[in-house]
Amino acid sequence: MNFMGYERPDGSAGIRNHVLVIPWGFLAAKICDFVDGTKTILSPDSGSGRTSRDRETIARTLIGLGRNPNVASVIVHTLSAGVGYPELAPARLAGEIARSGKRVEILDVVKEGGTLKALEKGVQLAREMVLEASRLRRQPFDLSQLAVGVKCGASDTTSGIAGNPVIGNLFDRIIAAGGTAFFGETTEIIGAEHILSKRGINAEVSRQILEAAARTEADAKATGDDIRTVNPVPSNIAGGISSLEEKSLGAIHKSGSAPIQAVLKYGERPEGKGLYFVDNWMSMGSIFAGYAASGAQLVIFQLGGGGFFGHDLLFTSTAVVSPLMWTTANPKTLAMAPTSLDFYSGTVIEGKDTIEEAGGKLLQLVLDVASGTMTKVETLRHTDPTQIYLRDPSF
Amino acid sequence: MTARGALQLSEKDNVATLLEDAAPGTGVLIRLGKETSTVKAGESIPFGFKIALTDIAKGAAIIKYGETIGIASCDIKKGEMVHIHNLEGGRGRGDLMKGEVK
Repeated sequence: MNFMGYERPDGSAGIRNHVLVIPWGFLAAKICDFVDGTKTILSPDSGSGRTSRDRETIARTLIGLGRNPNVASVIVHTLSAGVGYPELAPARLAGEIARSGKRVEILDVVKEGGTLKALEKGVQLAREMVLEASRLRRQPFDLSQLAVGVKCGASDTTSGIAGNPVIGNLFDRIIAAGGTAFFGETTEIIGAEHILSKRGINAEVSRQILEAAARTEADAKATGDDIRTVNPVPSNIAGGISSLEEKSLGAIHKSGSAPIQAVLKYGERPEGKGLYFVDNWMSMGSIFAGYAASGAQLVIFQLGGGGFFGHDLLFTSTAVVSPLMWTTANPKTLAMAPTSLDFYSGTVIEGKDTIEEAGGKLLQLVLDVASGTMTKVETLRHTDPTQIYLRDPSF
Repeated sequence: MTARGALQLSEKDNVATLLEDAAPGTGVLIRLGKETSTVKAGESIPFGFKIALTDIAKGAAIIKYGETIGIASCDIKKGEMVHIHNLEGGRGRGDLMKGEVK
């Protein structure tokens, strides 16, 4: 099974062909206004007053987005090179991205003699890089070169019965072909961690899965809140889900049945291929950028949606460089948002498809999107802001 | 009798998930793999919500996917809807002392 992608110097395959400008800020925003084919991360997380662990998470996210195969080349801009936190030093970010062999340029405001002079330089640089990227042609790549990340959201009881199992079947197919898949949302394995942990490739991975769930549950209890007023979220409850355990037991179906190779941090790149559990936060404003930084060229939102109505235009992605695909198994949700949803797996509930058959159809669509077909929300220029998953207090 | 009925995911389960709206008094077809049975809906239960397959005593485990999804917070009769009004989740509950379930 093949898809048509852009070959990168490290042998990876882009399914899109962007020039990335990081971090967020005036220069990045204006360069992206002027130059088509560019992307930036819309995130105010600058690292200011953040712990070294959180600053490293921001750096890991920026570096990972730069290294993502969907990125042809990168501009790192800076207002004051060398006087900030070492983790986020432009030379460090640029150097780590350049290890992938792609072109990385540093745009230094001080060196250019001011912001507007730097903007002129940045615009010309970005135009040159976009032209350079446009000379690349798609060529066939094996499915083993694809990595996808999934989140299930606004989950209802169709999610656990059909929506998530069909994603799980897709994951099994990608992994059987030698590819890579990411899932996570640690709060939403609580109540199902005893099942999931058995799938670790060794005792250490199993222990890490249990530990992630235990730490998150301890954090939840320490708040004094009834978790049911937090997660399951109100739309889950309105969609028929009655407890966190029920939500989790449905949610883990999206991971399929493959062994779990490792537990990754938000934005961490895996060492090999296969299935990975990412210890992350379920928010759609956060999770997709993390998957893209881990290397996912495509991200999927498996929507329940039974608990809310009127959202015909769904969230358009924060994965920055990776397109977002929407799936649902709920016929009411499909009727509500046909211009946003890319795939319907409710055929399983209707008895028209088995999970296996729907998974095969979804894989076909994934290969099409990997080859250049746009997802529905990808046709919109709007991007929602990204919230990098930072776990420490701010100071 | 409903056509699509409700889906029971494991033989251990004491609830099934409605695949269509059920009116009070309607016989709901319960599907477990290729086996089917019927439970009469004791009340109106919407698509996606759960129906009790047996009487469930207060304090007993409510089972879906073959796993515990919560505890009955009151006696539940066969055919009644099971949701947050009669099911109490036990995990991550900062409002409860450790291990305590109402």
